Amino acid sequence: MAAAETFLLPVGTGFRFCLLHRPPAGTPARAAVVVAPPFAEELNKSRRMIALTARQLADEGCVVLEADGHGCGDSSGDFADATWDDWIEDVVRAQRWLAERFDAPQWIWGVRAGALLACAALREVAAAGLLLWQPIVSGRQHLAAFLRVATAGALLREGAEPASVKSLLARLQSGEHVDVAGYSVAPAVARGLDAARVELPAVFRGRIACLEVTSAGAPTPAVVAAADAWARDGRVVALRAVSGPSFWQTTEIEVAPDLIAATAAMLREPAA
Amino acid sequence: MDVYAGVLEVLDDVLSLQGRARRLAPDAALLGSVPELDSMAVASVIAALEERYGFVVDDDEIDGATFATVGSLADFVKAKLNA
Repeated sequence: MAAAETFLLPVGTGFRFCLLHRPPAGTPARAAVVVAPPFAEELNKSRRMIALTARQLADEGCVVLEADGHGCGDSSGDFADATWDDWIEDVVRAQRWLAERFDAPQWIWGVRAGALLACAALREVAAAGLLLWQPIVSGRQHLAAFLRVATAGALLREGAEPASVKSLLARLQSGEHVDVAGYSVAPAVARGLDAARVELPAVFRGRIACLEVTSAGAPTPAVVAAADAWARDGRVVALRAVSGPSFWQTTEIEVAPDLIAATAAMLREPAA
Repeated sequence: MDVYAGVLEVLDDVLSLQGRARRLAPDAALLGSVPELDSMAVASVIAALEERYGFVVDDDEIDGATFATVGSLADFVKAKLNA
């Protein structure tokens, strides 16, 4: 198993920190996959699963690029200064970098809120496939769930001033930053996330491989509805749920081996 | 699967309890007793319940009492499903 290469992709006066997982030496890439990362703390919780899966895919002949977005991970900039559109552009930029160097079917791999970034990026770049992991269907609901970390804090402290998601949303709408669990969320992040839906542009006609990991091994209702809508639209959709921990939100960093195996299997399927 | 078992499964999963949640009785205290249950975890438990059962939880529907015990949390989910 080869170690991932790290490099810095220049962006304006800054850079994006990138990890590139290559196929074994001498093996031409049979797919080029760029990661569209999850939002805030879910990125930290998901890193190990993304890295393990990227290594597995690389061993099987795929090239996988992980690029941290503006103000995320080891990339330049502050989280507080980022916008939702910056992160879409970061996915587009990473995908173009990969496509210029690897002549292979291009995939975008959206993890959680990364599914929303991936859908937006597909308006600007061409891809043969979209791989989704536990996709967020509604950015609005995801934003509310994130802000709830701040309101849950108030539940835990007796006599604490109660905070509400509505009041935090109102502050964001009036142009204020809001601090949640160490993340300073900018109005321009909240606005973009709030409006984002997992909706595919008409121009994208590639395959969709959607994977979920749930304790019961059954897909979640909202994702089933989204996959059904894509299938009705004449798209090629494979939806699969496997059993495992919800690693993107668990207290400890956890691994879902069945998800790694199912992802590798989906990318082995020949193009329809 | 009944709602109570489903809630235990969510707690076990999100709090990384490695099966310990399955031994929790309905009157087992949660908030203030389960150290893993910090604000991030409370928010994650609610999000996991929303995704699993396909409902949306509003702020004013939950307070400390909702998370007092396993039973109170299960009762909350049952009420949401019957709403």
